[in-house]
Amino acid sequence: MHKMTKSIAGSFLALALTGATTRAEETLRFATWDTDESLAIQQAIAKKFEEKHPGVKVQVEPYADGYDQKLVAAFGAGNPPDVMYMWNFPQYYTSLMPLDELIARDAAEIKPDDFPQGLMNTTRVEGKTYGMPSGFTTQVVFYNKDMFAKAGVEQPKDGWTWEDLRAKAAKFRDEANKVYGFAVDAKPDPYDFEQFLWSNGTKYISDDGKEIDGYMNSDAAAEVLDMFADMAKSHEAVTLNLGDDTSGGTLFKGGKIAMFQSAMWSKAGIDAAGFNYGVAPLPKFGDHVAHSALGVSAISIAKDATHPDLAWEFVKFFSSPEAVAMRTNDLPVRTSVAEAKGMTKDPVYKPFFDILATSNIEIHAYLKNENWGKIQDNLARAIEATMIDQGNAKAHLDDAVARSKRLLK
Amino acid sequence: MRKTFLYSALILASALFIAPFYWTFVTAIKSSAELYQFPPVFWPSEWHWENFAAAWSKQPFGTYLTNSLIVVVFSTVGQLLSSSLVAFGFARFRFPGRDALFILLLATMMIPWDVKMIPLYMEFNMLGWINTLKPLIVPAYFADAFFVFLLRQYIMTVPMEIDEAARMDGANSFDIYWRIHLPLMMPALVLVGTFHFMNAWNDYLGPLIFLNDQSKYTLTLGLSMFKGLHEVDVTSIAAITVILCLPPLVLFFLAQRYIMDGAVGSSVKG
Amino acid sequence: MDMAYAGTQTGAARRKRASVRRHIAPYLFISPWILGFLFFTLGPLLFSLTMSFFDWPVVGERTFVGLDNYRSMFTEDPQFWESLWITVKFAAIYVPFNIVMSFFLALMLHHVTFASGFFRTAFYLPSVISGVALVTIWSWIYSREYGLLNFMLSLVGIDGPNWLGDPNLAIVAIIIASLWGLGGTMLILLTGLKAIPKELYEAATISGVPGWAQMLFITLPMLGPMLIFTFITSIISAFQQLTIALLLTKGGPLGSTYFFAMYVYDNAFKYFDMGYAAAGSWVMFVIVLALSLVVMRWSAAWVYYEGEIRQADGERNA
Repeated sequence: MHKMTKSIAGSFLALALTGATTRAEETLRFATWDTDESLAIQQAIAKKFEEKHPGVKVQVEPYADGYDQKLVAAFGAGNPPDVMYMWNFPQYYTSLMPLDELIARDAAEIKPDDFPQGLMNTTRVEGKTYGMPSGFTTQVVFYNKDMFAKAGVEQPKDGWTWEDLRAKAAKFRDEANKVYGFAVDAKPDPYDFEQFLWSNGTKYISDDGKEIDGYMNSDAAAEVLDMFADMAKSHEAVTLNLGDDTSGGTLFKGGKIAMFQSAMWSKAGIDAAGFNYGVAPLPKFGDHVAHSALGVSAISIAKDATHPDLAWEFVKFFSSPEAVAMRTNDLPVRTSVAEAKGMTKDPVYKPFFDILATSNIEIHAYLKNENWGKIQDNLARAIEATMIDQGNAKAHLDDAVARSKRLLK
Repeated sequence: MRKTFLYSALILASALFIAPFYWTFVTAIKSSAELYQFPPVFWPSEWHWENFAAAWSKQPFGTYLTNSLIVVVFSTVGQLLSSSLVAFGFARFRFPGRDALFILLLATMMIPWDVKMIPLYMEFNMLGWINTLKPLIVPAYFADAFFVFLLRQYIMTVPMEIDEAARMDGANSFDIYWRIHLPLMMPALVLVGTFHFMNAWNDYLGPLIFLNDQSKYTLTLGLSMFKGLHEVDVTSIAAITVILCLPPLVLFFLAQRYIMDGAVGSSVKG
Repeated sequence: MDMAYAGTQTGAARRKRASVRRHIAPYLFISPWILGFLFFTLGPLLFSLTMSFFDWPVVGERTFVGLDNYRSMFTEDPQFWESLWITVKFAAIYVPFNIVMSFFLALMLHHVTFASGFFRTAFYLPSVISGVALVTIWSWIYSREYGLLNFMLSLVGIDGPNWLGDPNLAIVAIIIASLWGLGGTMLILLTGLKAIPKELYEAATISGVPGWAQMLFITLPMLGPMLIFTFITSIISAFQQLTIALLLTKGGPLGSTYFFAMYVYDNAFKYFDMGYAAAGSWVMFVIVLALSLVVMRWSAAWVYYEGEIRQADGERNA
């Protein structure tokens, strides 16, 4: 359960909601993986929903780290929550309620066009929609303006490339104090990592989900991986997750790295760290257009939900402008809300939205093949092996392809 | 000379066992600035005791504490009664099928929890026990294989003549269990009680699977909620860990004297 | 029980009733476990066995596949053999170390009087820390760049290795972290030591039996039941080792700490393949059960159970 940003959706026509039928003392179960502030935001949205629906109680069930275990047990026993956070649609869609008809029926209220196409793509399996996006994030590079000023390095600009990033990073290297310009992850989430393949003109798996040879292990893919390994080798970047649990966020907040590639989920912590920072877009590979992975928190209804009508009301409310506007820990899934908040112009938020516009073409690999989970573990091992080896990406990726052959049937 | 060596070895070994705990404590009271300093800060310049209260108030830990206490107290009582009864049955009787049943009992220890989990969940769901504390309490009244095994091994070190003498005086099996073995087993029972207390207190998977709603959560679930998907609240984890360790630690410190003294006392009969 | 005899207070009837009671009594004593076994174990167990013969996704259609899960596990899945081998390696090192170290610590504690409570508590301390916190602490210790352990090593001029990042060292790191929780085993052995009658040693000392022989012929045999107990439970916990690896190394680096329990876990909760996971856990179950039976068989030859060997008791008392 990586990909989820924490978000909610705003509410469309509050008027229409007040007309919805409510029965006395109904409990709607809503499961989420979020904790902390993001959880508090969702609880606030649930409260709002209760106010609008007297007699309805929303029981927010935070499963945190145990989300999948918990959901697996609940579905297995036929006792799932009515409404739940969702991202891994291929694994769960057979027990989720398709929403297309409902969306079409209530289109005037929902305004489906208000949701960027890239986001809607992530909730679709075999042509059907199983969830409404409620919050999202794209990937960006945070940089510490204070460190840049002190080192006299020019700040990143729009349209910068990985070559630019490497040149800047090299200037921060200070091994005695364990300070570096950037951090590369030896165990990146393969879901996010695919963005670099996209940005270099390739992808993990063919669009029909049947071929990985020549994709995952293409020269373009190996080039990406070798570049990151080389950054580690030349100490332009510190390596994360190679026997070290210290997160990039922690290092960035502690002033140990000058640039940090991450997403919305890091922003609140960085704000609290109290230094000046800027947000740059993901660098490009040469002339290619940069693409970003899309972390979408969607909200879905169990196929055999106890209260399907009420659940749908809740889903609508969760993705309504009102609720979407309440989510400050991730980004608004509605263009209208983002614009109303001026986020598309704000220099801190702009890079997130800019790259969203160029990230609506590619489909994440897990949506293409049902065995992707297992294939992905072979891939993750190849990435890690390349980082340990500090190179040799092609051989490791070939190995991953060979190990995954039997899973493609 | 020999004593000096013994104590030096013990002090060294115990330092190894305590150091990480000390580090947890220090992490809990550090300022966020000193948290990731390198070289590491072993003696914080400021002691932020308020970190404990802050962590505690980030979630409804008062509620969690109540739930944990209910589970621990009621399940410990059940565990002590049921496991000692069963252990006595296996240790002191010959009956058809005993060895087969005992092997079955041992086998139950080896069942991986992963796969038992879904069927168990379905069962508790049918009983209407999901999102109640019952799945965490009731099974303790049906004896745990580990404890039965432990207590049986203990009972088997007690000479049989003691039972026979009592039987000669007209005691029935239950009397022998209740009046003779239960007191003799006391040290082992305190051990079982302590172990069970720790297990129940620290159990994470059970509460995770069977409880849904925060008003039912136990302390360990609260602790795990500081570990988010992308961010880990290190100070709060450390602070709650320290708090979470204290009750079992105090209990253990009190119990261990009893376990040891009791064991010495019982050996007199040998 | 025998209601038919209730009215006839003949001696024979009374004897008969007593005998019936004797036959039933053991079953009454063990009835809590039997009930619990039926309700909370046998049902789930058979259910999981059934699952292992199915292609059983968490949601969606279930198909009977016979022994296919087992076949594909044994013949097609390199992960199965790799994870099994890693677990065997782990158990082969962890189990003996766990018992020997626990035994020596228990032995030392057995001989101290001053501050014994403090030492016992110290050794047990790690065992009272819950899994989530335990793993957080170990990641602080092992961290390559910022870790406590490598900092300590650097003080004495050693450039510390990358504990969790080196495929050869990660399993060692996990063994160390697991051994840190030996407090429970140590305590069981210590209780066992305390229960050995002092008279045995006194008599032996008077007869001039040297210390090593007392250890060999009194301590070890008398501690036998407890040693066997800890041996078997250590094997079980070695095979079920999951939390530490799952949270500390996530099975890496390069799968070097990908334990069998984690393989089962991943199949269930990561790949949502419950049938395959059930088959895996049955394999684990059978292996551990077989190992335990071997240990019990082998131990029966030398372990001394005072309560069971009445003949020997009689002789000693006479």
